[in-house]
This record gives sequence, structure tokens and C-alpha cells, in this order.
Amino acid sequence: MRRTWVKRVLAVHGALFLLFIYAPIVMVVVYSFNSNPINMMIWSGFTFDWYWTIFGYPTQLNEQTLYVDSTDRLLAAVQNSLIVATSTTTISTVLGTMTALALYRYRFRAQRFYQGLLYMPMVMPDIVLGIALLVFFVSFGMALGLISIIIGHCTFLISYVFVVVSARLAGMDDTLEQASADLGANEWVTFRRITLPQILPGVIGGALLAFIISMDDLVITYFISGVDSTTLPVFIYGMLRRGVKPEINAIATIMLMLSFTIATLGLYFRRRH
Amino acid sequence: MSGEEEARNQQTPIAEVREAVKRFAATEGGVITALDGVSLKVQPREFVTLLGPSGCGKTTLLRVISGLEELDAGEVLIAGEPMTTVPPHRRPVNTVFQNYALFPHLSVGDNVGYGLDVAGVPRRQRNTRVGEVLERIGLGGFEPRRPDQLSGGQRQRVALARAIINRPSLLLLDEPLSALDRNLRQSMQLELKTLQHDLGISFLFVTHDQEEALTMSDRVAVLNKGRIEQVGTPEAHYHRPATRFVAEFIGDGALFSGRIEGPTEDPVLVTGDGLRLAVALGTTVNQVATLLLRPEHLEAAPEAPDAAFGVIEVRLKQSVFLGASRKFVCCLANGATVTAAPTGAGAQALSRVAPGELVRLAYRRDQPHLILGADDGT
Repeated sequence: MRRTWVKRVLAVHGALFLLFIYAPIVMVVVYSFNSNPINMMIWSGFTFDWYWTIFGYPTQLNEQTLYVDSTDRLLAAVQNSLIVATSTTTISTVLGTMTALALYRYRFRAQRFYQGLLYMPMVMPDIVLGIALLVFFVSFGMALGLISIIIGHCTFLISYVFVVVSARLAGMDDTLEQASADLGANEWVTFRRITLPQILPGVIGGALLAFIISMDDLVITYFISGVDSTTLPVFIYGMLRRGVKPEINAIATIMLMLSFTIATLGLYFRRRH
Repeated sequence: MSGEEEARNQQTPIAEVREAVKRFAATEGGVITALDGVSLKVQPREFVTLLGPSGCGKTTLLRVISGLEELDAGEVLIAGEPMTTVPPHRRPVNTVFQNYALFPHLSVGDNVGYGLDVAGVPRRQRNTRVGEVLERIGLGGFEPRRPDQLSGGQRQRVALARAIINRPSLLLLDEPLSALDRNLRQSMQLELKTLQHDLGISFLFVTHDQEEALTMSDRVAVLNKGRIEQVGTPEAHYHRPATRFVAEFIGDGALFSGRIEGPTEDPVLVTGDGLRLAVALGTTVNQVATLLLRPEHLEAAPEAPDAAFGVIEVRLKQSVFLGASRKFVCCLANGATVTAAPTGAGAQALSRVAPGELVRLAYRRDQPHLILGADDGT
């Protein structure tokens, strides 16, 4: 039997570990409701005002401390981020799934090599990818804007979708497709009625992952976004350079909730199948 | 060849494979020849079994017919039509897969109705037929269940129902009973045979279980290393195996390879280690051959055996009780083991022999089958 003090030490270790991970996030959420405009580390009462502020509503705090430069610019950044994220999610989900299917179904020369090439963008340092994309777009005389961000994001998000869908395909019983063909279904019907339902959790999971990463990407986007195509992370980064202001906490909390929802959705779909 | 068999050969076969060759690239490099010039015909309403050890090419042959595998050389015909360029979904055959391959996201009803759905059969007709087929295989009312809510035997039935609902002229079955326990397997064997008879279609059944093959088949094709060793009735395989491989694979028995030596009126097979075994009168001398001694050929030797018998002297190793009968495991002078399963008086005589004692066994010299030709060493 294990001695009690060992158990205690392990329990404390576990608690410290969780604290280490979650304390900063909990702090941000708590601070977003702190009405102290000067020092967010001193609690001076509960308020929703920071949330009102970021959406451009006048508040008591807002009159003295106008931190968000312009709500319009924030909303424009959110809109840009959503456009980029939905576009890249769609494109990379379709292309990533197709790639995964092709590599799963066919055996060809240098297959491992292609597989390796597909994993590469995930391990490549963001900063390198950012510089490379910038150089690429400039060399081809392409204007930086939403299009360049979408192309840039797709270059590595295809890999993420590919990996997630491939994992799902690896677990699929390949006699299912054969059984479908045997029963008279052509390739398209087999894909629609058998393959897609089988890999759907992977496709949805890959899409949600792509969406979150695209919404959240700062480094690569920073290099390849133009003047009018600021995304939310780039905008927040810009805000921070002029000091950490309490609205940041509110924005962070909203983004956290959004990610949380998406992750829960992802888990739900995975459970259901 | 029996009269029935001849009559069958006049018809166009349901499926015919001609000189089929299929090679696979082995994972460790090199090439595996799964089918090495296989030819086979399946006649209408015939139950044919492909029997062989794992890796002999039997499943590949099945997949070549269903179109899931393409041939490197040779030809596949279904109902006289060449099928080489026809994709699997346009071939008039259906398959019961070894792992059943039920669609896990579809209900039993949707699994069974899949073939009708993709063929565009109207909903009401489709539902009626699904109901009928499920009723036929003893799963009436199971439509809303999910495959993961079924037992192994029920899944097997659903796979069967799904494969016969399109009314194929030939049903391919890839070791469908291998995952079932012994009792269930035996009852399913009889059920499959009945189903095949009732549907009036041909079955091409793959198995590595010789008992299964002998029980169900009209004809058996024994495969080994991508080649067909012998095609024929179960009786022919048992009593007149064409090769040593077939003799070893089907039924029990001891095999002795050697040379037939004279005189002509008393031919004897002499093995490499000097064992002498009398063979049927009239056997051509001076040729190599293999003698197959089945347990039921061996009796306790009479006091004074006449020329119609061959006699061997053995040492009784073990007497094994089998319920209705008894078998006697014996050891020959050269160390080889033979098993005797005598009936009646012979059995009683042997029962009195204690293990370790010497005893003389006899067989009618025209009974054991003699495989002529060189021992192929397999």
C-alpha cells in the first residue's frame, strides 16, 4: 500500500500543474469584469463595462478612458478575421480531405515523400513561413490583402486537415467501400453514402481546427496582411503596443468563449460517431 | 465424370476464370504470385468451394471475380460475358465479406436495402423486399437496429441478406463462417446449403476448413500456392486425391512415398527407408508413387491373410475413445505413425491390445489410393 504522504505530494503536484496552466486564463476572465480602470490587478467592483466599451457603447468608464481607438476598426478586424477563417476553412477542408483520400487510396512512387511534404508546413517555424510568403507575394507583384492572407493560411492549414482526416481514414475499414461497390454503387455514390459519413467526424474536426488556427494566427498574418486587411489578432497586437488596457481582457474572454464553443462542438461530433 | 456433371458442362457457366494470373508486390520487396494460371468454371445452381491454406490465393480468386482485384493476365467471364474491363459495381455478383463489412452508420434495414437504394428501387417495394429477406434469414423486424447492437451470428446473417437482395446469379462468400463458434458454424453450414438450394443460384465459397468444404459443396477446388491442385466432388478429393498436398489437406491418413517394385502379380511400394507396402494388383511396377492409408482402411489382420490383403506390423501407441468408435494410433518400424479406425470385430480385437505391444494390421490392397508420379515434396 502506498503511503499517505506520497498521495498527498502527488495531489499537490496535480493541483499545482492545473493552476500553472489555468491561472493566467482565469485571471484574464476575472480582470475582464474588474471595474478598476487604472490598475486591473486591484479589484474595485464587478462590471460589464469593458464588454460595452469594445462594442462602442458609451459607459461611465469609457468617458474618461477611451482605450479602444475605434470600435469600427475593431469590428472591421473581426469581420476580416471571419472572412479569412471561413474562406480558409472551406478551401483547406476540401483540399486537405481530397489529399488525404488520394494518399489513402492510391499507392504510387515516392508516396512517403509526398506525405512528408504535407507534414512539413506544420513543423516549419511560423516566422519562416511568414517571411517566405511575404517574399513570394512581393516577387509576384501581388497586393497584400485578404486574398494573400487566405492563400497564406491555406498553405499550412491544408496540412492540419490532411493529418486529422488521414487519422480517421486509417481507422476506417476499407472493405466498406468495396462492399458498397460490390452492391452496385459507383464511386460517387460510394463516397457520398459510405466514405463521407465514415470520415465526417474527421472532416468536421479538421475544419474546426483550421478555423480556430486561422482566427488565431498572428505571426504569419502579420507579415502578409495589407493596410486594410488587419485581422483580429493583428489588431489586438497593435493595441497592446500602446499598453495593456482592460478591454483586452474582455476581447480575450470573448475569443476564449468562441474557441470553447468550437472545441465542444468538435468533441460532440466525435462522440456522436 | 457423372452424367449430372456432364449435363452441367453443356450449359454456359455462371462464372469462368481462364488462366488467371495475379501478382502483388510484397511489402519486403519482391513479388508474390497469388494466382498462377488458375482456371475454374462455376455452373448454374452449383455450390463450389475454394479450399486451401491461408495465402493460397483463394480470396484473391474471389476478388478477381467480383472485380475488386484486377488480373495481370487471363480472363474472367460472368454468364459468358467478358468482365475484365467491367468495374465491380456493374458485375452481377455479390459478396459476403469475411469481416461482414456492414456499414456501421446505417441501420440493419438500410444495410440490407443498400443495393436496392443505389439501383433506384422505389421506396415501398424496397421496404417490402428488405422485410422479406430479413424474414427469410430469421431476422424479421430487425430493420431499425444498428450493426453494433447485433451478435456475431446476426451480423453474419445481415451480411448475407444484404448480398442476396439484388438476386445475383452468383454469390461469393469469403470465409463467412470463420468468426462464428463451432455450433453456430455447423448450423449455418446447413442453412447456407438450404438457402443456396432455395434461391437457385450458384455459390462460390472460400474456406480453409476442409470439413466445411466437404459438408456443403457440390464441387471443391483445392488451391495451393496460387495453383489449383484438384477440382472435383468432395468424394473424389477424399477417395482419389490427385496430389500429395490434397491427400494431406483433406481427411486423415498416412502417406508413404516410394517406388513400386515387382513382381507384377504382387506389386509392392518400397519406401526410402525400406518399408514394404502391398499395393493394388495390376499396378505398373518401376514407377514412383505415394500410398494414402486412411484410418478406415486398416483392420486387425486375420490369422492367415490371403493375397488380397496388405499387412503391416505396428506397435500400438494409443487407443483413443471417440464416442461411437475408437481409433488406434500406431507406430511403424520406420517411426511413421498410422491410425486405424476399424469397425466391428476388428475394433474389439484391437481393444484387447495393450499400448506398447506389437500388432499386425491389414488393409485390402485395392482400397488405399495410390498417387502416381513423383513426390512433389509439399
